[in-house]
Amino acid sequence: MNSISSLKNVHKLGLFGDYKNKNDNEIVKIKEIKNINLFQVVKYKNSKENISNFKIDGLNLPSSLKTISNSSTRIIWMGPDNWYIFSSNEISKDLHNFKETDFAITDLSHSRSIIELEGDMVYEVLKKGSPLDVGKLKAGDCANTIFNGITITLDFISNDPKIIRIFGLRSFGESLYHSLTDSSLEFGYKSV
Amino acid sequence: MLHIKCPYCGIRSQNEFAYGGDASVKRPELNKDVPDKEWDDFVYNRKSLRGKHIELWHHVSGCRQWFKAQRDTATHEIFKTATMNEEI
Repeated sequence: MNSISSLKNVHKLGLFGDYKNKNDNEIVKIKEIKNINLFQVVKYKNSKENISNFKIDGLNLPSSLKTISNSSTRIIWMGPDNWYIFSSNEISKDLHNFKETDFAITDLSHSRSIIELEGDMVYEVLKKGSPLDVGKLKAGDCANTIFNGITITLDFISNDPKIIRIFGLRSFGESLYHSLTDSSLEFGYKSV
Repeated sequence: MLHIKCPYCGIRSQNEFAYGGDASVKRPELNKDVPDKEWDDFVYNRKSLRGKHIELWHHVSGCRQWFKAQRDTATHEIFKTATMNEEI
C-alpha cells in the first residue's frame, strides 16, 4: 500500500544538533515508518469468544502491555480487549474470521504518524517529555503514555540497539516530530 | 504529582488520567416514577467530602478505561483502585 506521508513537510534527511565527533550509536536515528497496514481489533464487552482461538498471520493476540511479532506482522496491546495490528502482508483473510457480532475492526492505516528512534540515547530522549518509567521496559513491551502533552503509544522493538517506535495521531504528527527532534538535538540526531 | 495505579497498566503518572467524579452516585431506576429531588441528587448534588472518597478516573492517555479509586480528598493519598465491576 502507498499512503501520503504525514511528515513529508518536516522530515528532512541529514545530521542535526550536536552530532560532531560522535559515533553512530551515540547519536539518535529518526525514521518515519509509512506504507504499512494498521488495523484496530476490539472485542465487544458482551462477547463470549475466546481470543486464544484467533490468529493473525500465525500470531495470537498478546496479553496486557505486550507485543508479539513475526517478520511481516506486529500486534500490540492497546487496552483490555483492544489491539493494533501492523502488517506489510495482506491480512484481510485472517480478519474475516473475527465475526462482526463479537469484534469491531477498523482500518487505521492512514490515521497515525509512526516515528522510529534508534540509538543508545533513545530512553533519554523519551524521559524529556514523558512521565513513563521507560528504563523498566524492554523489547516486547508496549505502553500508551504522553510526550509533551501528546498521547502516544510506545512499541519497544529491540534492546540492542535500542529501537522504539512511537505512534501518535496523524494530526499531531508534525508537532510530535518537532518535540522529538528538539529533545534529540542535545545528543545529535540523524534523519534517515 | 500523583501516581495512580491503573488496574490494567500499573502505576502511571497523574498526567495520563482524567478525573471523572463521584463513583458512589447511583442512577435512579429505569421505568420508575422518579421525584425531582432524586434527579437533582443524581445530576447535581454532591457531598464534597473531606476524607476517604470513592471516585471515577479515566486512563485517557493510556488504556482508555474507566476505573474506581479510593482517595483521601485532604491528603490526596490513593488507597486502592479497582476495575468498574469490582467493589472497593
